[in-house]
Amino acid sequence: MMIEVIDICKQFERTVKRGRKSEKEEFLAVDHVSLKAEAGEIVGILGPNGAGKTTLLRMLGMLMTPTSGEIRFWDTAGNLISDTSKRKEAIGYLSGNTRLYPRFTIREYLTFLGRLYGFTDKETEKRITRLVEMFSMENFVDNRIEKLSTGQTQRASICRCLMADPQLYILDEPTLGLDILSADTIIRFMEGQKKRGKTVLYSTHYLEEAEVLCDRIYMINDGKIAAHGTPAGLMEDTKTASLRETFHCIFGQTLEGGNKHYA
Amino acid sequence: MRKMKILLGKELLDILRDKKTLIIMVLVPILLYPAMLMGIVLVSSGLLASQKEKTYQVAYSAEDVPVQELKEFYEENKEEGDTLLEFLPIEEGKEKNRESYDVWLTMEEQELGAKITVEYTSTNQDSDYAMAALKKLAEDYGDKLMAQNLAEEGLPEAFLTPVILETKDSVTASESMGMNLGGILGMLLMTNILLGAFYPVIDSVTGEKERGTLETLLTLPVNSFQMIMSKFIAVSIFACGTAILSLVSMTGSVLFMFGNMGADMGKLGIKGEMILGWIPVLLAAVLVAAVLVTALCMSVCVFAKSFKEANNYITPIMLVIMLASMAAMIPSFQLDYKTVLIPIVNVTLLVKQVLGQQLDPALAGITIGINLGVSILVVWILSKMYNSENILFKDGFQSFRLFERRSEIKKGTVPRTGDLILCLAVTLLLSFYLGAAASMKHPLGSTVVMQLLILSIPFILVWYIKSDTKALFSFYPPGAKQVVGGLLLYLGTYAAIMLAGGLLAELLPDSTQNVETAFALLMEYPVWLLVILITIMPAIGEEIFFRGLLFGSWERQFGGAWAVFLSSLIFGAFHLSLVKLLPTAMLGACFAYITWRSGSIYIGMGLHLVNNLFSLMAMKYPHRMGELLPILMKTEVTGMDVLILIIAAIAGVTAGVTLLNRGKEKAGGKKVL
Repeated sequence: MMIEVIDICKQFERTVKRGRKSEKEEFLAVDHVSLKAEAGEIVGILGPNGAGKTTLLRMLGMLMTPTSGEIRFWDTAGNLISDTSKRKEAIGYLSGNTRLYPRFTIREYLTFLGRLYGFTDKETEKRITRLVEMFSMENFVDNRIEKLSTGQTQRASICRCLMADPQLYILDEPTLGLDILSADTIIRFMEGQKKRGKTVLYSTHYLEEAEVLCDRIYMINDGKIAAHGTPAGLMEDTKTASLRETFHCIFGQTLEGGNKHYA
Repeated sequence: MRKMKILLGKELLDILRDKKTLIIMVLVPILLYPAMLMGIVLVSSGLLASQKEKTYQVAYSAEDVPVQELKEFYEENKEEGDTLLEFLPIEEGKEKNRESYDVWLTMEEQELGAKITVEYTSTNQDSDYAMAALKKLAEDYGDKLMAQNLAEEGLPEAFLTPVILETKDSVTASESMGMNLGGILGMLLMTNILLGAFYPVIDSVTGEKERGTLETLLTLPVNSFQMIMSKFIAVSIFACGTAILSLVSMTGSVLFMFGNMGADMGKLGIKGEMILGWIPVLLAAVLVAAVLVTALCMSVCVFAKSFKEANNYITPIMLVIMLASMAAMIPSFQLDYKTVLIPIVNVTLLVKQVLGQQLDPALAGITIGINLGVSILVVWILSKMYNSENILFKDGFQSFRLFERRSEIKKGTVPRTGDLILCLAVTLLLSFYLGAAASMKHPLGSTVVMQLLILSIPFILVWYIKSDTKALFSFYPPGAKQVVGGLLLYLGTYAAIMLAGGLLAELLPDSTQNVETAFALLMEYPVWLLVILITIMPAIGEEIFFRGLLFGSWERQFGGAWAVFLSSLIFGAFHLSLVKLLPTAMLGACFAYITWRSGSIYIGMGLHLVNNLFSLMAMKYPHRMGELLPILMKTEVTGMDVLILIIAAIAGVTAGVTLLNRGKEKAGGKKVL
């Protein structure tokens, strides 16, 4: 699976105060972004809050349509996938906002997904058994999701993404707010998928994590790509010792510049 | 379809897992009706019983001899069921203790009878009842004395009462009882449906968003149409379930009440079989109502982000539905060819009519059809609005622009469906109130007010939301080809309308007459006034409202074909008459199509003017018009005439459409806003 993003924009409206008058104004939350991710690659999207990461990932996950530009998907055989439904089947999208139905048990939920993806009942059952083993969920797979702990819910969410065995994973801050053990589960999961030749596109605020995990990184600010390269390459370019420092080096100036306005 | 089914299964399971929903939907309807009917029976029979059993004290002076006679008369003629009276002689000189009796009676003998004085306290219920009983007694006693006197003179009783007036109410006691009960039950039924739909709608539509599962749902390979339809069907199933339960419980309670509640109710004799026979009709009506209520609730809930917001949005809808269903409790408000047009209200009226055992099957059919039609329309609009991005990631009411601050509205904004519906409602409401006020000053007042409102409200709206008036209203000069095409299309449509009109007149002869008499009333005014009022003003105002504002706004949002359909439907309905609905809608579709294809509103305006002028002349000078165009004034229509009309309709419409579509470029080179 390969994904190529060509010059996409997303336009939103916001209210701006000009003196006593407030006015609706259009702005680009994602401003002419082009990027690429190959099979077997983990690509990190980094940037300060409000940079447009979530909007970008939502467009890649087919939750939003770009105002302009194009997103292309190729399957493993190199064929272009254009059907929306097929594209969605090929994508596993996970964010802080993708919750699971609280009144369902994990098994019921996964069965529902299996049927929706068009698996036979037998196949669905087989997949669920494998996922339950993989994430050691034997003890709570038949509990309602509302009764689960955060870590258990997170595991169930990953299972949701895995159910259709997608080619591309889009993860929007997947480790946000998790304890070290739960976060490690996610990191191991990403590494595992990479080994299986899947593509992972993910955004995070944890720079140490990204430094170890990502093959390539796109740094985004104000809807535009500010820098792009391998973690090592980026550090070399900015002559910094860690990705954290790189981040400061790239965004620090704009932030300080912003602060001057208030001074 | 397969995906829809899977989604539907999920929705149903999700709703079923929610205990609150189940309690509201199952227990309330099952328990409410028996409890309520029992309550009514107990209270009313309790009241009756307490009245009957009580003995009222009638005090009189012990020396008052004539009262003794009255007392004897009372005791001789006492019948079962009469109010019980006890005559208490009070010794002379004893203090009149007001509390020991209910009324004080004195009687004076007169030449041919007696004068009876009853001292009572009207504010005291017992005293009042005792007085009423005495009044009846005095009348009976008077009749007896009169008969005696006449007999003494050797005259028959008819000598004094040559005319006997007897009235018989054609509404039997059971019917009027049924009507009253039906009004209450209809309202309760609707309330239950509302309860059944209300919570599941919020839970499945808003809950999905509030619980954060909507974003997950959007990542799945389903489209927004499948999502909203599966939700709609799931909630409809539950609302229908509640409706059926309510109906069963209601019918059961009513039958039980009339069957077993003793002689009092049995006497009224509502036939159980009669109601049972109507059950299929009731069921159908109630089910459509449930679907409609679901659709209405859903169409506001999709905009809510939280339960609280959803509650706020849904409250006005609830109030409207409750008020509408309460209308059924007004005794004289009945299902006829006008009220049948109001969705929801017609269902409650239907229930009332069935229990009153007076129902026209045709009206029942129309009721079901109308509610179904409106439901489909609402669901369709709903599926259009349920666009994942708008629903999930944007704020508030996207289908309204009016509620935004004017300073925040961009130039060239197109009115949304919500704005348009609001405008229509305001126009209707204002023309109703102001029209009523104006018609007190002058009989034509309401017409003037209506026309002024229709003309001014579109301009106020587009001013507020800063639309590009010229483009939105298609204020562009037309090309010559399009004028000819429009004229041909109009003539074809007119032939089709005549055919449809003839058909309708056959089906609903009475209502056609109503329209004609209403017009005939106008004819006494001078021609110039009528030309302005019912020809020029409507041609301009209605075109701007329906073809300019409604069609123009919808064309930009849903495309031309849907805009033609919707705007003409509303144009038809706006004339508030079942008979005029179809012809007006056809005319509206014709004008809208012309505006769409030609890009100019002026052709429609001109043709509208011609059309109205023509109707006016036909009304004012029927003979001269008959000489000019004999086919229009014929009362007897032959097969040949019908054939000519059919050919004219087909030829006109085909030629018109062809010519309109051949026009090189639309007027004004219409920009998409």
